[in-house]
Amino acid sequence: MRSRKRIIITSAICIMLVGLAYFAWLFPFYEFTTNDYSTSVEKLLSTDYIKTLVPLFIIIGLSSVGIALCVWLRKLMAKTDKRYSRFANIRTGKVAGKAPNQKPAVFMVIRWIVMIAFGFMMIWGGLIFGLKMSSISIPILSCPWNTEQMTESSCYYLSHLNELFELPIKSILIFFGSTIGFTLLFGRAICGFLCPMGLVQDIMDKIRQKTKTEGVSMNEKMYSALTPIKWCMVIIFVGLCFMGGNFCNFCPAVAVSPILAGISTSLYVSGFLMILVLMGAFFKRRFFCTVCPLGYLMGLLHKFSLFRIKKDCQACTECGACYEACPMGIKMIYTERGKADVTDANCIMCGECVRCCPENNALSVTFAGAKLYTSSRKQIMSEYEPKKRESEAAKK
Amino acid sequence: MTTETKQAALKKRQDNRFINKETQTAAKYLRRLKELSGAPDGIEPFYDTLERIYVDMQSADVPKGMKTIGTYCVMVPQELIYAAGAVPVKLCSGNYTAFSVGDEIVPRDACPLVKAVAGFKQTGLMPLYEDCSMMIVPITCDCKKKIAGMLSGECDLMTLHVPASRDDDDIDDYIAQMYDLIEKLEKVTGNEVTYETLSEGFRKVGYAQYELSEFIRLKKQTPYLVRGSHEMAILNSASYMPADKWGEALHKVNESLKERAKSGQTVTAKKLPRILLTGSPIVFPNMKIPLLIEEMGGIVAGDETCMGERGMWDPAVITDNSFDGIMRALANRSLRPCPCPTFADNKQRIYRLKQLISENQIQGVIYHVLRGCLVYDFEYKRIEEELGQLGIPVIRLESDYNEEDVEQLRIRIEAFIELIKLKQAPEKRTSVRTGF
Repeated sequence: MRSRKRIIITSAICIMLVGLAYFAWLFPFYEFTTNDYSTSVEKLLSTDYIKTLVPLFIIIGLSSVGIALCVWLRKLMAKTDKRYSRFANIRTGKVAGKAPNQKPAVFMVIRWIVMIAFGFMMIWGGLIFGLKMSSISIPILSCPWNTEQMTESSCYYLSHLNELFELPIKSILIFFGSTIGFTLLFGRAICGFLCPMGLVQDIMDKIRQKTKTEGVSMNEKMYSALTPIKWCMVIIFVGLCFMGGNFCNFCPAVAVSPILAGISTSLYVSGFLMILVLMGAFFKRRFFCTVCPLGYLMGLLHKFSLFRIKKDCQACTECGACYEACPMGIKMIYTERGKADVTDANCIMCGECVRCCPENNALSVTFAGAKLYTSSRKQIMSEYEPKKRESEAAKK
Repeated sequence: MTTETKQAALKKRQDNRFINKETQTAAKYLRRLKELSGAPDGIEPFYDTLERIYVDMQSADVPKGMKTIGTYCVMVPQELIYAAGAVPVKLCSGNYTAFSVGDEIVPRDACPLVKAVAGFKQTGLMPLYEDCSMMIVPITCDCKKKIAGMLSGECDLMTLHVPASRDDDDIDDYIAQMYDLIEKLEKVTGNEVTYETLSEGFRKVGYAQYELSEFIRLKKQTPYLVRGSHEMAILNSASYMPADKWGEALHKVNESLKERAKSGQTVTAKKLPRILLTGSPIVFPNMKIPLLIEEMGGIVAGDETCMGERGMWDPAVITDNSFDGIMRALANRSLRPCPCPTFADNKQRIYRLKQLISENQIQGVIYHVLRGCLVYDFEYKRIEEELGQLGIPVIRLESDYNEEDVEQLRIRIEAFIELIKLKQAPEKRTSVRTGF
């Protein structure tokens, strides 16, 4: 009975998504009188820039209202619940104190630096630094409407295949060559390290962690319900151009980089979707990545990419911390008991599982066989390590 | 004399006899532990704790004004109890005298651990049990279920339903129970559990676990720096000490072990057969098996019992900073890494044993089964098969809480150790003994 309900809800969402995607131009979120695709450094410094930023402000405002509303609703629900009414305040209100957290790992710091630097370059790279490599395509969701970004992103031609085949053969070859080349080299590490959509979502998650707001913990069943939605997204992504639609009116990524680069583009369904993405990412880390069509296509090649997650199955105690930490809900990583390679098609190489693994050498991120980041108990327990000064004072 | 006073006098005589016998056995095993060579410096606080509880018959040494909460098994998150401003003590018992009392009141086939608990409850003489404001009993086997019913008379008691598997839904159910547990703890202690106190509880237990990981890292080294019996005494006393005090005491032991490692001192220069002890819990004063192993010339190099290394090894990893996230981490830690045979599918215990075998270069495994402990007995066959494929000899030792079977155990353990010695290459005595 419960599974039937799930099927009905999932298929309803799929149909809605297809409908929204097809009639995207009918639902304007914010329309400029004229779309201005030119931008310059001067424009960034002038008041015109604020005008182009308006839709972004609306999105941020609406999504924060939405988040506040969700938190408030949950508080109401918790108060009426028999078991949790006593905990309504502690779970949904502001709480004092600091939970013990391990010291930041080098890998994580590097990931954040790379993500922020690359995000910056994808928005203003061409504009400020004059760095443009428009012939190279990287499979990320960074909107190509922003003509000033550092490199081309593959999402445009992948979602407009009919236009792709009208290009000269050389361009087609370069497009496929660079896209597949990057996917083979880095795999979905591109999602975890380079994608600006990922950065936006990770920032939302950081805000939640800082405010200690309760998230939505998804279990395997919910992830399996999301899989058909992901397939539906892939069909929309690849097939919409043949049906006469335009994926860009639907894609939430349009609402980030062009606006920040000072390009005024009218937003259709993408604006509404961006609000959902931000809210989703706030309550569930990297929510959009679990349904991202581009990520799915990249995941098809996960068997060949050079980034791998390795597991020492004997060292594992099946504590499930990796599964709890995984933003993509990969359960196999803790149930696997035979293979040393636990790279999954959904894995975005964010290294969160390695960070949370309490067993020495049980999990590691490797690149072409070289270990980049290995789990260690010392790192996990670093918060509990007695401060050196204190122990020395105790000795005296 | 009226019958009432007669009965009172009889009761008093019985009580005195109980106390005498109980303290004598505890003192005897403590003495045997102390006589064993190679104890690390700084082990005294742990001996003192065991002495305090079982020989002096006092309650656990907790800070003034704090209540003690009795727990059984390893599935009760100690962090929550510290967060409620109380101190957890583990009440799983290994007492021979209490066992003989309990033998009369629980069925013959019940396990001795439960019989001993029932015995303590019957006599009402043990301050450790009597001072508990509340008891938390995870239902891990039939005996625990029924003993929970017997104990529920006098103090607050909460049972935790331990699921048969460790799936996502089971974890969710366990989290709900954790919330219920908080509510109950708050009622008993009168303190509120907040985010702050819970974090503080995490820090207390985390510090103890930090020192424990350090200790186990040092213990793994060959040649061995510490004996397994001493390690078991240290880990057993963790049940009766506040985690921060225990951690501090263990810190001193670690320091002395590091000194030892530096100066090249070892427990003995001889190549002793390295033995892994697994199976039913070994609770002080029922230390006959580890003591026999080490007295017969072996060394308990690995320990996979729930009153030993396994009980505190796994840390709760916080993956989400919210209050609910912390509760999730607790429930997750309590169930998922736990290799307790109460779970239907417990293959992970075999992997854990294999890991311990390779890390500690184990040469033989002693599988301890308490009489009537069915769940552990069930798993013996599978483990024997799996370890047989690795070429590791395994024996099953069944024992009870009395000293009648000591000689029989001694012969079997001696034969097992001789067997391992025969297998290993003859020892070359090149290095001069630097240790004790």
